[in-house]
Amino acid sequence: MGLFGLAAIWFAVVVFRTASMVRSALALLFSQAALGAMFLAMQAEFLGVLQIMMMGTEMAIMAIFMVMFMMDPGGLSGMEMTHQKRVSVIAGVVAAFGALGVAFLAGWGPVVEAAPSPREQLVGLGLDLMERSMIIFEATGVTILTAMIAATAVAVAARGITKRKEERG
Amino acid sequence: MIALYVALLVGAILFGIGLYGALSQTNLVMIMMGVEVMLGGALVNLVAFWRFLSPENYSGQTFFLIVMTVMALDMAVGFGVGTARFRAKGSVESEEAGELKG
Repeated sequence: MGLFGLAAIWFAVVVFRTASMVRSALALLFSQAALGAMFLAMQAEFLGVLQIMMMGTEMAIMAIFMVMFMMDPGGLSGMEMTHQKRVSVIAGVVAAFGALGVAFLAGWGPVVEAAPSPREQLVGLGLDLMERSMIIFEATGVTILTAMIAATAVAVAARGITKRKEERG
Repeated sequence: MIALYVALLVGAILFGIGLYGALSQTNLVMIMMGVEVMLGGALVNLVAFWRFLSPENYSGQTFFLIVMTVMALDMAVGFGVGTARFRAKGSVESEEAGELKG
């Protein structure tokens, strides 16, 4: 588990260290896949597989958008793509140490050693989604639909601007 | 007990790296990558709390699914805004979006 955690951290660092944006997308994919493997090692089978499958698709889409939108996706011209580095480093370190402080100083109570079997987990999660967390689950579905419509509307609305630009020459 | 602390350590470090990335990058796509890393750190904590503190209660797994949905929505809306911005100005650099300041 620690090994996968270390891999996730290493690849997360590579995301912001490499000049090539495509490499960044791949590093993020590996980081999230390492997290998925970490979940599998923690015996959360369904969540681990879900994480790996979902992040694989998500990062593939992200890589396509990167090539579309970035001025230098290959990182060949050595462009500076960062700002306010000092503030960002301080904010990152403070946030990490704050979270570590809570993690190590809080009393978490007794730890449960045995995890439910994968089958029990699936049944339990299904029942939780359909009974106790039904409203949250439904609200999430409606939110996804709203976000899909909003994202499409925003992207399509800007099409007129491109058209007018082309007409003007 | 050690496994719980290892997971929380990984989650905290990932959150810090993600925050650094979200604040330091100028490109919208890279900022979204920072947010993804931060949410990844949150996911580690959620799974660790569910697994080591309360495996019989599946609210932790439900919470995981909701955070994962947020990750997907952040991508969808972010790319929608990115497409609009790119069509209008030909760039998704935050440095060139000064007119969006309140």
